Amino acid sequence: MAAPPVWRRKDLLSLEELSRDEIFTVLEQAAGFKEISTRSIKKAPTLRGKVVLTLFYEPSTRTRASFSLAAQRLSADVQELDLEASSAKKGETLVDTARNLRAMGVDVFVIRHQQAGAPALLARSVDACVVNAGDGTHEHPTQGLLDIFTMREKFGDLAGKKIALVGDITHSRVARSNIWGLLKLGAEIGVIGPKTLVPGALKELGVKIHYHLDEVLDHYDVFNILRIQLERQGAGLFPGMREYNLYYGIDERRLARMKPSVLIMHPGPINRGVEISHAVADGKNSVILEQVANGLAVRMAVLALVQSAREGK
Amino acid sequence: MQAILIRGGRVIDPANNFDAVADVLVADGKIKLVGSAREGDYKTFKNATSGIEVFNAKGLWVLPGAIDLRAHLGEPGNESAETIAGGALAAIHGGVTTVACMPDTDPPIDTEAGVQYVLGQSKAADLAEILPVAALTKKREGKELAELGQLARAGAVAFSDEMRAIDSPSTLLKGMAYASMFGLAVIEFAQDPAMTSGAMNAGYEATLAGLPGIPAVAEELAVARACMFAREAGCHYHAAKVTTKNAVRAIKRARKLRVQVTAATCPHYFALTDSVVRKQYDTAFKVFPPLRGPDDVAWLKRGLREGIIECISSDHTAVPPELKELEFGRAPFGVVGLETLVPVTLTALVHSGELSPARAVSALTCNPAKVLGVHKRKGALTPGFDADLCLLDPDEEWSLDPSRLVSRCRNTPFAGMRLKGRVKFTIARGKLFDVGAPADD
Repeated sequence: MAAPPVWRRKDLLSLEELSRDEIFTVLEQAAGFKEISTRSIKKAPTLRGKVVLTLFYEPSTRTRASFSLAAQRLSADVQELDLEASSAKKGETLVDTARNLRAMGVDVFVIRHQQAGAPALLARSVDACVVNAGDGTHEHPTQGLLDIFTMREKFGDLAGKKIALVGDITHSRVARSNIWGLLKLGAEIGVIGPKTLVPGALKELGVKIHYHLDEVLDHYDVFNILRIQLERQGAGLFPGMREYNLYYGIDERRLARMKPSVLIMHPGPINRGVEISHAVADGKNSVILEQVANGLAVRMAVLALVQSAREGK
Repeated sequence: MQAILIRGGRVIDPANNFDAVADVLVADGKIKLVGSAREGDYKTFKNATSGIEVFNAKGLWVLPGAIDLRAHLGEPGNESAETIAGGALAAIHGGVTTVACMPDTDPPIDTEAGVQYVLGQSKAADLAEILPVAALTKKREGKELAELGQLARAGAVAFSDEMRAIDSPSTLLKGMAYASMFGLAVIEFAQDPAMTSGAMNAGYEATLAGLPGIPAVAEELAVARACMFAREAGCHYHAAKVTTKNAVRAIKRARKLRVQVTAATCPHYFALTDSVVRKQYDTAFKVFPPLRGPDDVAWLKRGLREGIIECISSDHTAVPPELKELEFGRAPFGVVGLETLVPVTLTALVHSGELSPARAVSALTCNPAKVLGVHKRKGALTPGFDADLCLLDPDEEWSLDPSRLVSRCRNTPFAGMRLKGRVKFTIARGKLFDVGAPADD
């Protein structure tokens, strides 16, 4: 049975703050928008006359493009703010930048920022909508939602499903959003990675912690593989890519020991040959490109919901 | 100067082991008498003075004025955030009559002239008495020792490179040995600098907030190291901001080995936990060391009960709003605290039953006086001591409204907090200030 639509938030800052019903509301709305993508005219009038601004303080290709396309499909006017050439370099604060842009009539801010909590600061500084497109190592809620959307397309109800996140959990906002969203839907969650990149405190949330991938290959229904960043090696958190690949790389050999129905996911961008092999990334268990397609529908849903909540509809 | 007779309050004076309803007579800026006032006792005295103001303190607690071991008063160099006069006024409003100010100024207080400047500004303000802590090394660079003898002679009350750990063990050891000749404490930054680049307490809350953590072991390491050096150097080491369970235990162990170590913590460390940060990423809660988890807080309270931590300090640090209205990771550390030191201590430790009134008052008065070496003139209601008193209503309940703080910066972590106990009057060297706002809120 479908949950009654529930959404009263002008902002989407995290999945931690969402209830199970709110998550279902986004997913249902997204399913509706996904259908629009199959039409020859891929536009809905939902945000006609509204201004959506992507405020990216960190480089991004797919997330920014996905939000921009989502806003355009909802007929919004979209402005992308190039912060390399903007006031961020001149020392203007986030709050000042946002207040100025709000004064120009921005309705929805989509923000990506290196600092955890920056979207929360923005949300209490302006009366416009704020959508978190990734804040530091805190959350990336739309990525969490699109991952869940993709899993539900394959499995339906996720209660009791076993979902693993593999890699640098400590520095992953994708991991945190997945954990919060999946916990609310009743899934079993495991995190797998080197001890220096897996926060032990996650145990307190009921998350299982594994340091040896090979011991749990046949246990999980989904492996969501996170990008490993070279700079962590410099910080002394792991010895090198070769050793990382040896212990945590997902290749055909490991895939063969997983459940036949296993889903291989990756939020991108992929380091092919490091955390995931070519063949697995492009193989039949991989839903990596479906994740990208679903991202568009999920972001359309989020933009539509926050704006209608702000207008009190 | 006029005399004041404070009648009928509950006088709590732990240094003299006194806790009873009594009268206190002050005159000429000094304590004259404490006891029960029979008219005759004061008649002789009354005749000798220009007048005597009788002050009814029924229902109030009458304490020695609080002594704050650490405040950052901005002068010289950061006057837009705080000044010595501004800090001295905030202190008066908080029942604090003596404040040790830290030398992390610009330029640092590392010369006789710097010490004299602070003392001069204090005298000019004529509010709470401000006593300078001087730098241990020149320019706080951790290399060459500052002229500690001259600084001591000029009136420095302790030495510290404040917020900068001395990297070189041999420099710290020599500094402690040299400082010990003058009988002054060395206050060493109680965090290992290599591990403290984070924004909040490492652990569960930081994990979920996605903020880089500052691990508790960084504090344990620095405190244990400084205790070892204090032992070798025969120096008094004061651990200025103890916030973790294992630092409390390290101090307890060092005491057993007869290391001369004293310790302080601050109200925000026992009244708040790190769970407040993630709700709003509110930079009002960004302090260094960071707010800790419930286990550490329980150990701080235990440390205070057992006397392992014997002082409570404000760590008053004014940060202008434009610097606090930033992303959590980017905003500077620090909270104002001179006006909340006493009421938050009462609320979180005394009314909650953690500490007896005498123990809490000791932690705010006579114990810090000993750390600074001013216990022969301050921190107790002994006849002949400076007439520094704090008169408070222990039962008045109120909410902290940041807009009513007299500090020019209002970066308090206690906004909206329900408090029980309010400072009503402060007497600083015989001068009476009415600071208790009416009970209308």
